[in-house]
Amino acid sequence: MGNNKKVLVVDDEAHIRRVIEVKLKKHGYQVITAINGKEGLNLIITQKPDVVISDIMMPEMDGEALCKKTNSLKKERSFLTIILTCRISSDEESWTADMQDTLFIEKPFSPSMLVECIDQYFGGSSK
Amino acid sequence: MKSNHLNVPKMFRIGIILFLFVMTGIAICGQILIHEEKDNKINDLLDRGSYLTSLIALHPTKDLQGRKQDFFLRTLSEYTTYEGFVYCFIHDQSGHSFVSLAPNKLASQIPLDVQRASLQAMGLSKRTFQLNGTQNTIYEFAKPIFESGQKTGTVRLGFKLPQVSIFSFERIRFLAMIALFIFAVVLFFYYGIKLTLQPLKKISEDLQYTCNGSGLVNAQSSSTNGVAFMVKDLGQSLSQIKEKLVKIEADNMKLVSKLGVTAFEKKQIAAILDCINLGIIIVDIHDDVSHVNDYMLKLLKKSYAEAIGCPLTEFLNHDDIQAFISKQEDGMSYRSGEYIETTFPKHAPADTFSVSFSELKETESGLVGKMILIRKITNEKLAEEARKDFIAHIAHEFKTPLTSIKSYSEMLMDGEVNDIELKKEFYNTINTEADRLASLIQNLLSISRIEMGNLSINKSLVKTESLVGDSLAAIETAAQTKHIVIEKNLPDNFFSIVGDKELLKVALINVLSNAVKYTQDHGNITLSLFEQDDFIVFNIIDSGCGISQDDLPRIFEKSFRSSDPLVIKKPGSGLGLALTSEIIQLHGGEIEVESELGEGTRFLIKLPKEEYYIGKQ
Repeated sequence: MGNNKKVLVVDDEAHIRRVIEVKLKKHGYQVITAINGKEGLNLIITQKPDVVISDIMMPEMDGEALCKKTNSLKKERSFLTIILTCRISSDEESWTADMQDTLFIEKPFSPSMLVECIDQYFGGSSK
Repeated sequence: MKSNHLNVPKMFRIGIILFLFVMTGIAICGQILIHEEKDNKINDLLDRGSYLTSLIALHPTKDLQGRKQDFFLRTLSEYTTYEGFVYCFIHDQSGHSFVSLAPNKLASQIPLDVQRASLQAMGLSKRTFQLNGTQNTIYEFAKPIFESGQKTGTVRLGFKLPQVSIFSFERIRFLAMIALFIFAVVLFFYYGIKLTLQPLKKISEDLQYTCNGSGLVNAQSSSTNGVAFMVKDLGQSLSQIKEKLVKIEADNMKLVSKLGVTAFEKKQIAAILDCINLGIIIVDIHDDVSHVNDYMLKLLKKSYAEAIGCPLTEFLNHDDIQAFISKQEDGMSYRSGEYIETTFPKHAPADTFSVSFSELKETESGLVGKMILIRKITNEKLAEEARKDFIAHIAHEFKTPLTSIKSYSEMLMDGEVNDIELKKEFYNTINTEADRLASLIQNLLSISRIEMGNLSINKSLVKTESLVGDSLAAIETAAQTKHIVIEKNLPDNFFSIVGDKELLKVALINVLSNAVKYTQDHGNITLSLFEQDDFIVFNIIDSGCGISQDDLPRIFEKSFRSSDPLVIKKPGSGLGLALTSEIIQLHGGEIEVESELGEGTRFLIKLPKEEYYIGKQ
């Protein structure tokens, strides 16, 4: 289970934030939320989450900008970034080549699969 | 190459001609000389005869008969050594001749009438006659001898004209000199003429060479160097040149005419090119600019004069375009229709241009130049970007409720939601998101139909009471959830409008649902319906978060969403107000908005009213 790992959910859609929050909490994760990239970045710096789940299209600061800005932080402290994408074009993920510990999950996603990905990440890291 | 040396037959002919000239000259001169000498001899004969006859007649007859006769005869003999002297008879008064110096039998050959006439003459007389039986013409001079006033005798002298011979030594010498002179003159004239005609001959040869070389005429040079042939050749050449000149003049007229037409057409084409909203550069095969249209000149801020003849690289001074053209020209990569997108940072920094290139070919001449087309595609680029953004936005808008529905339902199905309240919340969310999806699809379809121009408006008399009622019913649940109070200021007598009720309902619901969405819990919304001038006005006021002054002008743009955090919190496609605006405009109405951040928003929807209204039902 989550072992009280902290997960930050960044999405401008309240319903999405809510369902992820409920699901992850049920699996033992501690969940904090933000409504855009800018707010998310503050929480990453201050709250130091173990996992960041972020939507791509958001006001203020989008998921791509957030991911790029936080990539350098992973040198000091590694954490998983999951980007929720609508996958509109095939080259949408090209910018992730240089990103560390980043994976894409396409919308509409399955909450179970999302938890599985996070569990796997921590399972792998514990080895 | 023609020989300049005279050949033998030609020399012979020239010799013959010279000889004939000389002989003719000699003959003419000889004839003149003979005629002149003959005249001289006749005159001499007449003078001599008259003189001698008169001289003899001065002597008394006794001197001629007596002892002085011998002296007289000797003296006379000296006189008669003249080659023409024929006879001398001196007659006494009775007519008997006592002196006779004449060949034998000559006296019998002289006609008697001549003799008689001479004897009867009283003064000096002259007669000519032909000796009987001969062809000789004799000139006879007769004069009576008077002594003391008495005629005592008659003197008769006969002369014949001395033979005039052409072959005398002097004459032959003279004629030889004449011949030599004529020969010299003829030679002089021959070579003189030849020398004089030398430039003419050169001109003729040059003319023929030029004619043959240029193919102007079919001049065929004569193999003979004669003046006549030369003149003939020259004449032929000149004649052919004249014909050709006439033809060239006619062709020239046609060309001038064509040139005029071409110049006119060129001006027309230039005018057409100037009207085209594209940059056009035409270069020749040396890549020098031969034409540029106005659009391009304005873009590069250059004049036509400085463009023409300028190398293309220098004229454009654009590395990207030059690289593109070079790549196209290498033959391996040229493909018609290829283009690059570039910018002109110095001249039009905000615009994007597409540059294409094509070779200008003629059937006969092959490649004659190139044409570079430069088209401003800023709007297309913006439209393309807007389209991509819109698609991305719509995809996001579709996937967001879908994600909610899928994730919420999955959790419900997996039995992970056991709490009743949470379950209720999840079902409610699924329901809301499904409605959101349906609304999104409806709006999209409507917008698509409006944009494609095939939206059929089913116009009918619409009761505003029904329109308002249906619209309020659609938002009632949402408003109740947020405890929002909806105040209604409706007239006792509802107006009717002509329009598509379903579309008008979509428009009204979009505005009302926005009001509900952006109004905080326990807020209030007022819907008023009233008549103003020629319009029926729907006035919707909310006490919501309001719209910033920056966002106000853009709220009717398709897929525009404010960046205000209070707005962002709420789900929305950015299509609702765009669609509402389109629907109102389709009905000939207007939509206005007033807003203050944190105070609320007021929408005014004005629709043209009908002449009558239906009473309250």
